[in-house]
Amino acid sequence: MRNQWIYYYTGVVTVKISGQGLERFINNLTRSGIKIWDLKKHGKETLTFKISLAEIKRLRPIVRKSGCKIEFLRRTGFPFFFKRILKNSGFFVGALIFAAVVFVLSNMVWGIEINGADPETEHKIRQELDKIGVQTGKLQFFLEDPEGIQRAITDNLEEITWVGVELQGTTYHLQVVEKTIPEQPEKLGPQNLVATKKAVIVDMFVEEGQPVVEINDYVKPGQLLVSGSIGKEGKTKSVSAKGEVFGETWYKSEVSVSLKTNFDVFTGNEKRKHYLKFGSFSLPIWGFGKNSFKAFETEKEEKTFRFLKWELPISYVEKTHRESEKVMRTYSNDEAVEVAKEMARQDIKNDIPEDATIKGENVLRQTTQNGKVYLLIHFQVIENIAKSYPIIQGVSE
Amino acid sequence: MAKKWGHQVKNWMTKHMELPQDVMMDLPRITMIGQIHIYIENHRGLLAFSDKEVRLMLKQGQLLVKGKAFVIKTILPEEIMLEGKIDQVIYVND
Repeated sequence: MRNQWIYYYTGVVTVKISGQGLERFINNLTRSGIKIWDLKKHGKETLTFKISLAEIKRLRPIVRKSGCKIEFLRRTGFPFFFKRILKNSGFFVGALIFAAVVFVLSNMVWGIEINGADPETEHKIRQELDKIGVQTGKLQFFLEDPEGIQRAITDNLEEITWVGVELQGTTYHLQVVEKTIPEQPEKLGPQNLVATKKAVIVDMFVEEGQPVVEINDYVKPGQLLVSGSIGKEGKTKSVSAKGEVFGETWYKSEVSVSLKTNFDVFTGNEKRKHYLKFGSFSLPIWGFGKNSFKAFETEKEEKTFRFLKWELPISYVEKTHRESEKVMRTYSNDEAVEVAKEMARQDIKNDIPEDATIKGENVLRQTTQNGKVYLLIHFQVIENIAKSYPIIQGVSE
Repeated sequence: MAKKWGHQVKNWMTKHMELPQDVMMDLPRITMIGQIHIYIENHRGLLAFSDKEVRLMLKQGQLLVKGKAFVIKTILPEEIMLEGKIDQVIYVND
């Protein structure tokens, strides 16, 4: 006996037949090699049985001959199931579209929250975010990662010291720390101006107070420059001395420059590879083959897909191989000295206040040793050396 | 007379050569599993079928199966498998 479930792949039809001489009809069927099964009698002149869909055509002439009435009751098996699926395909398509929509919405930016910024700064941050494309309704896939956003904001806005960008689900949380500029005390108590470092006075602008030193005087740190006590002897009164005292100060800077330096530079040639990553398995989708670079550096960028609140184990990976090259830079002795001087100037500019100017420079010592040029440079700088220093009543009188 | 002689030869051969009788003599081979299944080989066609009774043609005579709730599970030209509750299996000789 064959297994009947095999027929479910080709389709099974339940047939109802009614009339006289049903037994003869069954004998005719079996003798012509048509396989039927599950025969059941309902009443005297009605019979139901199952037959393979493929053999339905062969049934017809035998039914004609018998003069019985035939009716197809139920269609089961894979072909009919498939047909029904096609008929109900709208349902499945709908479910699929729903999942796709949820998937797309899960990967969108739905909110940008900014904490710790006053309205003005917040507006500026929002403008900055708009510029780099971070807006509600954008797909996260095409945006920069939080570190990139963080960099873009801190680089372009001067008002903020630090910004922390965090992506939670579909919302970006920005934690801002603003720069607080200390307010100048408006009303000043009685004070003197004293020198901050040793210098030779070059120029003085005294708004209030009694200058104690003169131009071309040499002063030491802490030395009184402008006194807050004015008036004649015996009738002094204390005021808040104000003004600027410019002095010539001196700085020394020691720099060294190698005559030969090796650099790793990128040639600009690059090869990009794109992967879809499922769990730990990476499926390359674009950019095949090995690169032909002798030396290269690899950059990897990974973007994870999410569904509702979950991160899917599927991510999109872009690898960039950049060709690198070793370049040797060689300076002549004179060039090296020039470079060293420039370096020293930059060095000094970092040390002195912004309103100071470099007046002159002298090379004190220049040596070349072990392929390096050592330079000791002396700078003359004009800067404000005055610093306010409160007068304590008890001490001054 | 010749037919009867042939029958006798067949009978002798099966007895003395240990050949299965159903093959040699076209007799039905009936296999039953308790009361619920009956499997009949070497029948010659269905004569009557209802849920209480099945009548089968044999080479000689008929076979009558009585019971309840009969369903023919499979039917082939010479085989039939019946399911239900079988009460009686009767050979009818005309």
